[in-house]
Amino acid sequence: MLVLLPALLLPEAPLDPFRGGLPPGWAHPLGTDDLGRDALLRLLLGTARSLGFATACALGALALALLLALGGPRLRGARSALASAPPLLWLLPLAAATGGLGWLPLGLLIAGLLALHLEPPLRANLQPVLRSPAWSAGQVMGASALQRLRSWTPHFAARAALLLPSAWIGALWAEATLSAIGLGPGPEQDSLGRLLHEQLPRLATDPAPLGWAALAVVLALAWGSAPAQESP
Amino acid sequence: MNGAGGWAVWALLLLLAWTLPGKVWRPASIPDFPVQGLFAFLVPLLALLLLAPLFALRGGRGLARSRLLSALEAPPPLLWAIALLVLWPAAWGPPGLPGGGLAFLACALPMEVRWLAQALPVEQPFPAAWGAAAQARSRRGALAALLPRWLAARLPVWIMSTLVLERVLGVQGLGSDWMARVGARDQFGLALWVAALAALWALARDRAGR
Repeated sequence: MLVLLPALLLPEAPLDPFRGGLPPGWAHPLGTDDLGRDALLRLLLGTARSLGFATACALGALALALLLALGGPRLRGARSALASAPPLLWLLPLAAATGGLGWLPLGLLIAGLLALHLEPPLRANLQPVLRSPAWSAGQVMGASALQRLRSWTPHFAARAALLLPSAWIGALWAEATLSAIGLGPGPEQDSLGRLLHEQLPRLATDPAPLGWAALAVVLALAWGSAPAQESP
Repeated sequence: MNGAGGWAVWALLLLLAWTLPGKVWRPASIPDFPVQGLFAFLVPLLALLLLAPLFALRGGRGLARSRLLSALEAPPPLLWAIALLVLWPAAWGPPGLPGGGLAFLACALPMEVRWLAQALPVEQPFPAAWGAAAQARSRRGALAALLPRWLAARLPVWIMSTLVLERVLGVQGLGSDWMARVGARDQFGLALWVAALAALWALARDRAGR
């Protein structure tokens, strides 16, 4: 997932107004949009950016959740109040009140709100370590909190990584939903949600290859991310 | 002390609702409460309240590990709304609130069946060894005890789902009322919403025995 992070720095598909609205062909497998941008390139760049953004949010959320889990039960009531509603229920009115959220504030808000939901399962994952004699031994031997953290960080990171897929998919859907209903980051940078927002009204009436392709990618991501469950 | 922290957060959110940032770019009148939308929400909600415990009762704890449920649960409300828009026959007119109710049920039912199935107590070795009747009685008892907390804990999730469905389908219902009041900067209406969410949080907490 880390290889997706540089996707946030990818440039936009180049404009070519004289080649707008071309149907699918060899040169442009999904055709071009009204501004002459290659639809396949837009889809690839938008998908890469959405995945990169979700990865960044998920990593931030896990780091915050780890800090909260190690910090103990401080402010548990405040955390449970904020986590009692899904992140989107807070994000949507905030985005509407501020006229849309940019990438950075949206990423920080998603990471913060997801961290509140990730902290309880992460704390449960860490309990065996925090209650183990090896962890207490460090305390008894006089090691500082920083020293113990340094030696145990790989172990904590491995436990936190178990929650990475759910954090990732939560961030991906939050951004896609906000963008698809027109409250995400501005139109200057494509994302999967923005492509859906743009193509959604055309899906039922036009052939709209870009819309269908974006929908296929989103569906593949949804089913690809479903937790693998064992049959009873 | 923990409860006090939670109430402090709700007080802050109420304050935020009263002093909502930003300005309306055009004068907007405060929307009426969508009574029609509430009734349209109640029908799929009642179906959900009936069907989810029924499936959990039949399937038991094993349903929480079902691959089919997992696959049905994966698409978020946004995808169900898009699927409805694409599949809805044009001859029937716009999907409207009935279509939204259908999409809500398709989106929420797998999630809730899993929630309830996961919360059911372990049945091995007992009451499974005592026979099917004892097992069913144990499930019924557990579901009856879970019901109030399930409602309080999951209502915000259902409101969020209806909000997304209504925005994509272009209808005014219960979920989008929350956003309509943000749009019109209706401080009183928003404060009522925040108070309702706080009441649900308190109910879910108390039922959890904390």
